[in-house]
Amino acid sequence: MTPTVAATRMNVPWSRFLGRHMTLAIGAGILGLFLAVALAAPLVAPYDPIYQDAVVRLAMPSLAHPFGTDNFGRDILSRVIWGTRIDLQIAVIGVVFPFLIGTFIGTVAGFFGGIVDTVFMRLVDIILAFPFLVLMLSIIAILGPGLSSFYIAMALVGWVSYARLIRAQMLVLKSSDYAVAAVSLGFSRARIMFRHLLPNAVAGSIVFSMSDAVLVLLNGAAISYLGLGVQPPVAEWGVMVAEGQSFITTAWWITLFPGLSIVVLAFGFSLLGDGLGEWLGVNE
Amino acid sequence: MSSPVLSIRDLTVKVPIDGETRTLIDAVSFDLAKGEILGLVGESGSGKSMICRALVKLLPSPAIAITGGSVLLEGKDLATLGEDAMREVRGAKIGMIFQNPTSHLDPVMRIGDQIAEGIRYHQGFGHEQARAAAVEILGQVGFPDPERQYDNYPHEFSGGMRQRAMIAVALSCNPKILIADEPTTALDVTIQAQILRLLMDLRDRRGLSIILITHDLGIVAQTCDSIVVLRNGQLLEHGPKRRVLAEPRHAYTVSLLKSHPSMPDEGGAVEVEQIAQQTRLQPLLEIDDLVVRFPTPRLGLFSGRKKQIAAVNGVSLRVMPGETIGIVGESGSGKSTLARAILGLTPLSSGHITFGGSDLAQQPRQTLAKLRTEAAMVFQDPYNALNPRLTIGDMLAEVLKVQGNTPPDGIPERIGELLDLVELDRAFMTRRPRSMSGGQCQRAGIARALAVNPKLIIADECVAALDVTIQAQIIDLFRDLKTRMNLTLLFIAHDLAIVRNLCDRVVVMYRGEIVEEGRCDAVFANPRHAYTAALISAIPDIDPDKPLPKGDLPPRNEPKGAPVLRGQPLISMQ
Amino acid sequence: MHRYRFVLFRPLQFLPVLFGISIITFILVRLIPGDPARVLLGARSTPTAIARIRAQYGLDEPLWLQYFYFLENLGKGEMGKSILYKIDVLKLIATRIEPTLTLVLTSVLLSILIAVPMSALAARNNGRLADHAVRIVSTLGIGFPPFWLALMLIILFSVRLGVFPVSGYGETIGDKLAHLVLPSLTIALSLSAVLTRSLRAAMIVVLKSDLATAARARGMPESLVFWRHVLPNSLVPTVNLLAVNIGWLIGGTVVVETVFAIPGMGQLLVRAIFSRDYMVVQGVAMVFACATVLVNFLADIVTVSLDPRVRL
Repeated sequence: MTPTVAATRMNVPWSRFLGRHMTLAIGAGILGLFLAVALAAPLVAPYDPIYQDAVVRLAMPSLAHPFGTDNFGRDILSRVIWGTRIDLQIAVIGVVFPFLIGTFIGTVAGFFGGIVDTVFMRLVDIILAFPFLVLMLSIIAILGPGLSSFYIAMALVGWVSYARLIRAQMLVLKSSDYAVAAVSLGFSRARIMFRHLLPNAVAGSIVFSMSDAVLVLLNGAAISYLGLGVQPPVAEWGVMVAEGQSFITTAWWITLFPGLSIVVLAFGFSLLGDGLGEWLGVNE
Repeated sequence: MSSPVLSIRDLTVKVPIDGETRTLIDAVSFDLAKGEILGLVGESGSGKSMICRALVKLLPSPAIAITGGSVLLEGKDLATLGEDAMREVRGAKIGMIFQNPTSHLDPVMRIGDQIAEGIRYHQGFGHEQARAAAVEILGQVGFPDPERQYDNYPHEFSGGMRQRAMIAVALSCNPKILIADEPTTALDVTIQAQILRLLMDLRDRRGLSIILITHDLGIVAQTCDSIVVLRNGQLLEHGPKRRVLAEPRHAYTVSLLKSHPSMPDEGGAVEVEQIAQQTRLQPLLEIDDLVVRFPTPRLGLFSGRKKQIAAVNGVSLRVMPGETIGIVGESGSGKSTLARAILGLTPLSSGHITFGGSDLAQQPRQTLAKLRTEAAMVFQDPYNALNPRLTIGDMLAEVLKVQGNTPPDGIPERIGELLDLVELDRAFMTRRPRSMSGGQCQRAGIARALAVNPKLIIADECVAALDVTIQAQIIDLFRDLKTRMNLTLLFIAHDLAIVRNLCDRVVVMYRGEIVEEGRCDAVFANPRHAYTAALISAIPDIDPDKPLPKGDLPPRNEPKGAPVLRGQPLISMQ
Repeated sequence: MHRYRFVLFRPLQFLPVLFGISIITFILVRLIPGDPARVLLGARSTPTAIARIRAQYGLDEPLWLQYFYFLENLGKGEMGKSILYKIDVLKLIATRIEPTLTLVLTSVLLSILIAVPMSALAARNNGRLADHAVRIVSTLGIGFPPFWLALMLIILFSVRLGVFPVSGYGETIGDKLAHLVLPSLTIALSLSAVLTRSLRAAMIVVLKSDLATAARARGMPESLVFWRHVLPNSLVPTVNLLAVNIGWLIGGTVVVETVFAIPGMGQLLVRAIFSRDYMVVQGVAMVFACATVLVNFLADIVTVSLDPRVRL
C-alpha cells in the first residue's frame, strides 16, 4: 500500500510515529540515555572515577556503592559512567571516518567504473582478506598502543565495507531509468552523482553504520581489554573488564557491570539500525 | 449448462486497516460449470486475484479474512472448511497457476520433483511411480523430452516453458478446477498464444473448469465462455462472452471495451499524407547501418577473448520531422538498445546516427549537446524513472534550470504550464512519486520530457506497466501533444495494437534487425515477413470470431542458454 | 559438471589477492618507526648485531629488492625467525594451528546447531511471542563482547558449577574437547546471534514468497513447505554471511584464546605484539589472511552446490 507508507513518513504526530516504529524509538532512547550520561558524567557520577579509597576495597554492591568497588577501592558505578564518554566516542569516531572515506571511494568507483573501480575494488578484496581484528592489532602493534592508534587503524581498514556497499548501490542506481533520464537531459556528471544517485544510495550505508558501530565498539573494547587501546587508569569498559578478571571468583561485580554496559549500548545501536532500516525501507 | 462445479455466493473479504475495516471483495456471486472457462476481468485493485486467493484460502496476509458468503465445491463450503481439509482441496481439487512462473517455481528444486512432490503427497505414490506420472504430465504440457527434462532446474528453461512447467505442477493431482492468475502477462505475445492454446486443449481433454484472471479483453474474447467484470471488489457484470462483448450493460464494461487497443481507429492515415507533403525537407533523424554490441558476461579467466553480442545489428531508419514511428518487437529484439543508442546513451559499435544534420560518431560533442536539448525520453516503469526523493516540482525545476532556456523567475509558471500540458493538477508540484499512481507518475515523466522543449521524444514501452484505461488516456495524451507541439515521436512497444492506433509508420525488429518496415495500415493488413505475420496473428483479438491461429506458430527457436539481453546495459557517462 | 569448473580456475583469480596480502604483510614490518634492525634486536642491539641483521634481511637494499627477497624466502617456506621462540615463524605457527582450527570448527558447528532451530522457530511464528523472544535475544547477542562473555561463562560453569576447566588446553582428544567447550560456546553464542538474524529474515521472506504460496496451492502441508522449500532457499545468503564473518570469527578466536589461555595462533599473535616479535605478527597475519581466502573459496563451492542458478 504505497499511500500508507508515504503517510507514515510525514505529517504524522510524533506519538503515532513512535508507536509504529517501536524499535527505532527504543534504540534512539537507549542511545539518548547513554549520550546524556556521557555529557553529564561529572554531575551524575557519585565519586571520582580514579579516586582510590583504601577503606572500601572490593566492596560488594551496596547503597553507598551500587555497583560495588574494585581492588583499589574505586567506585565501579562512577567508572562505568565516565567510561560512557570513552566508549561512545570509540563507536562514533570509529564509524564516522570510515563512513566518509568509504562513501566517497565507493561513489566514485561505482559511478566511473573502469580502472578506478578495478584498483579500489582489488584493494578492498585484499584488505577484506585480513581478519579485521588481526589487521587492526598488527597496525596497532606498529603504531604503539593507544586510542589514537586505534582510530588510525579504523580509518585505514574500516572504509572497505562502506565502499563496497555504496559501490553496489551506485551500480544499480546508475542503470536506473531516472539516471538515464538525467543523462539524456544533459545533467552534469557531478550533479547526477551527488544530487541524484548518492542520496538514494546512502540509506543502506546509514543503516549498516549502526551495526558497524556495534562492531567497532566491541573491537575497541576488546583491544583495550588486551591492553593495546585505552590505558589504565582511565575508566573504559574493556579496561575495567580486564582489571576485574583476576577477581572473578571473589568480586564478580567489577567485571559484570562494565560488560553489561557494552551489551546495552550495543543493543541500542542495533535497535536503532533495525528501526532505521524499517523506516527507510532498507533491507540489509 | 449442467449443475455448477463451483458455486460462489456473496463472498466477502475484509481487512482491518488503522481501525477501519476495508472491504476488498464485496458480496461477489457466480457459478463455474464443468468444462467452462470463465474470464475474471478487471484492472489492478479490482480484487480479481483476491477472489481466487480466497477460494483456496491462501490470502496474502493473516489480517485479511473471509467474513461472509460461501464457496460450494462438491457439497462442501470451502469458506468454513478448516486448514487440514483445505489441504485436501488445494492441488487435488483446485490447481493454481500464476503470472510469474519464475518466482512461483522453486529455483533450487528440479522441475520434475516439484511435480512429483504433489503426486506423492496427495496420491501416496512411491518415488518411481510419482516420477513416471510426472514425466507423463510434462509430456502432456508440451515438454519435448520429458524423461530428461524432469531433472532440469527452472532457470534452465525459457519463460514459456516455465509457465508450462507451472501448469504441469498444477495438473499433477488431477484437479477439477484450474485457477490461472494472469498466466500470460509476463510472456511475449507469440508464447502467450501457445500457452492459451494449451489451456484450451487441456480443458477439452480433461474436462477441466478454468477461472482465467486477466486484464486483457482480447484474451477473454479468444478463450473464455463467460465473463465476470470486477471493479473495486464488486461484481459489475456477469454473462456469456458474446453477450457481454456485444452488448455490455455496465458503463464501466463499455469503457473497458473502448480502451482496448485493438479497436479500429479512424483518421490516422490522413495525417501521414499531410506530413509527407509538408516535409520534402531533411529527415530529423537518420540511422545508417547501426550496430551496437555488448560484451557477454565473462565466464572465467580463461574463456578466451570476450565475446560480443550484437543487440542492434545493421539497422537503418529515416525519421521525418513530425512523424510518429512505432518500433515493435518482443523481449530481446534490441528495440530499447536502439532507443538508447539514438540518444547517445550507449556507445555505437559502427554505423551512423545523424540528428538534425549532425553526426553522432563524427561530431560527438556537438551532436550530444543537440540531443540533450532537443530530444527526450519517456520510460517504461514510471516509478523507476523518477528520482524518489524529489517532488515533481523540484524535478521539473531542475530540468528547466539545467537546460537554461527559462529565466529563473519564470520557472514556477513554466512548471504549471507543463503540468497543464500533461493534464496533471498543479497541486502535484509538491508530491513525490511514492504517493502517486502509475498513470500520474507517467504523466510527470512526460512533463519532464516536454520540459526540454524537444523536437523528438522517444517513448520506451511507456504504457506497458499501466492498466488499459490508463493506457488509453496516455495514448490520447500523446496523440494530442504530437499535433499540438509538432513532435516527432518514436514509440517503442511490444503491443502491436497500441502502435497501430497511434503511429503512421511501423518498424518490426527481431533479434537486433529490422525485418519489416512500412505504413502501419499496409503492414498490418499485409505483412510481408513471416515473423510480423506471426506477431500479428498472435494478438488475441477482441472479436471472438477472429480466433487465434490453430496449431503451432512459426518456430521461434529459443536455444537453451542462448545469451538473450535482459534489462538494460549500464549507461556510459560520456 | 562444468558448473564446478571454477574450482580449477578460481585459485588463479586469488593470485592478485595473495600478491596484495604479501605486499601488505611486507609493508607492515617496514612501517615500524625507527631502524627495524634495532627494533628487531631490542635490548641486544650492539653495532655488530645490527650490521648482521641488516645484512641478513637485506635492509641496505632498495625496497623493491627487499620485497623480492621476502618473496623468495616465502617460496622456501621461511619468514624469518621469532625473537622469542628462536625458530622459524612458519614452523612456529604450524605448531599452533591445531587448537585454533579445532576451536573455529567447533564454534561454527555449534552456532549452526543453535541458529537453524532458533531461526526456524522464529520465522514460523513470525510476529508471535517466540519470534519476538528470538529477535530480542539475537539482537542482544551480537552486542556481547567475547572477552566478557567468556568470563561470565567461567563464573557460571567453572566457578559455580565446576563442570568445565577454566583455562588451558588438554593432551588427549577428550581432554582437549572439554577445554574447548566454554571457548566454543563463547564464540558460538555471538556468531549464532549474527546467523540467526540473517537466517530468520531470509526465512520470513521466503515463507511469504511466491514459491511458498505455490507449494501451499498444491496442497503441501506447512511443515513440508518449510523444510523442503523455505530452508533450502534461505540457506544461500546465510552461507555467504558465514563466509564474510570468517574474519570476525578469527578475531573472536584471538580474544577467546587469550582469555582461556589456549595455545593457538591468536594467543601467539597477542603475545608477539607485546614482546615486539614482529616477524611472528607478520606471519600470523599472513596465515590468517590466506585462511580467509580459502574459506571464501569453500563458501563459493557450497553456494554453487546449494543453488543451481549460481555460476562462477
